[in-house]
Amino acid sequence: MHAVIPYVIASLLFALGVYGVLRRRNAILVLMAVELMLNAVNLILVAADATVRSVLAGVRPEAWAYPVPEPRSGAIFALFIIVLAAAEVGVGLAIVLQYYRLHRAVNLDEVVLDEHDHEKQVTS
Amino acid sequence: MTVADALLLALGLIAVGSGALVVTSSHLVRAGFYLVVSLGAIAGLYLVMGAELVAWVQVLVYVGAVVVLLLFAVMLTRAPIGPSDDLDRPKAPAVIIGAGVGFGLTALLADAFRWTEFELPPPGNAERVGEQVFGAWVLPFEVLSILLLAALIGAIVLSRPDLGARVDPSAPEPAPPPDPVDESAEVVARLERIAARQAAAQARVRQARADQEAAEAAANAPAPEPEPEDPRRRAAHNLIFEAHDARPKIGEPGQAEVIDSRIIPGESVVESEEPIERPARQQPAIEGNVVEGELVEDKPAAARPDKSGIEGHADRLALPASDDEKEQ
Repeated sequence: MHAVIPYVIASLLFALGVYGVLRRRNAILVLMAVELMLNAVNLILVAADATVRSVLAGVRPEAWAYPVPEPRSGAIFALFIIVLAAAEVGVGLAIVLQYYRLHRAVNLDEVVLDEHDHEKQVTS
Repeated sequence: MTVADALLLALGLIAVGSGALVVTSSHLVRAGFYLVVSLGAIAGLYLVMGAELVAWVQVLVYVGAVVVLLLFAVMLTRAPIGPSDDLDRPKAPAVIIGAGVGFGLTALLADAFRWTEFELPPPGNAERVGEQVFGAWVLPFEVLSILLLAALIGAIVLSRPDLGARVDPSAPEPAPPPDPVDESAEVVARLERIAARQAAAQARVRQARADQEAAEAAANAPAPEPEPEDPRRRAAHNLIFEAHDARPKIGEPGQAEVIDSRIIPGESVVESEEPIERPARQQPAIEGNVVEGELVEDKPAAARPDKSGIEGHADRLALPASDDEKEQ
């Protein structure tokens, strides 16, 4: 297995995610692009788990570096990141739905960040 | 170029291609489905690289839950069938930054790994991952579960507007969402026609029922007249004639006399006088001397006037006899 293939795929996916976050105006599409970026990071973690360990196969590790005899930390980090992404999507979609209920739109350009809704209504 | 390389390249092409469609598609729902394809291809990449559990968790959580959640959000906010033209911002800065990030990362990683070949790790199973998660990584695991709980509660609190909402006194009443009934004149006209037809039908039915009731009342007019009077009159009749029947009669012995004649000094008469439903515990006390004495004293006293009347009668009968004797 040539390790460069999954790494390049992951970097391309991350670039697509960055492009989507910057390009998209709809909040749900921005969340989708964020999912793409998270998956790119997961892919890098799993690929590192598969390659770096095989490089270090003959190296005698320090005791503190490997608290368990056979490390498989990349996959576990990937699992944790999947759980984090699920929590992020849940809260993010709750925010998006609440914003839609208040403003009848999910366009990120129109979100006013520096003043409260009440003040906006008073001043405008 | 091995089989694993070919698989990685093919799956990577699918993932990157559908990822590009996710960020460029003008259909909101189609972007979600391209995301499904992209995540599925990434799960295939995990499988090739020997991370089985991560691959299945990816399919389960991402494809099964996260994308469904995103599509639900699309449906709840706005569900356009055709393409939407207001999804995107100006293209230039996003393209520049995205291409820069992609080129930089690709150059970095390609320079780091070159075309080095690594041996594929043995396919991992869930047992090894489980040992790791519940051995070395148990504290992050627990923290993550608490974070999931917090995210759950936060999502619930966020989606309920009545929790923790600050009341704004100066804000005007929020405009209600447009009612489709109000917008369409045709719907309103049809509803009014239906309402008028219903009112006419109700009036007709009511008129027919009133006519029928009037006819029935006219037909039954003489019949119900004696009915309401009857029970009371019968009751009064019964009262009068029962009282008449129950009054003391001259020729017959009164009730007291009948009871008197039946008195046998002893306990049996007292028992017959007593009501049956009295508790048996009180009966001996009543059977005592006092009750017996009262009964024996009472009954002759009550019966005496009758007897005297009868005696007077006999006296009066006797007087003419004496007169007759005198005359004789």
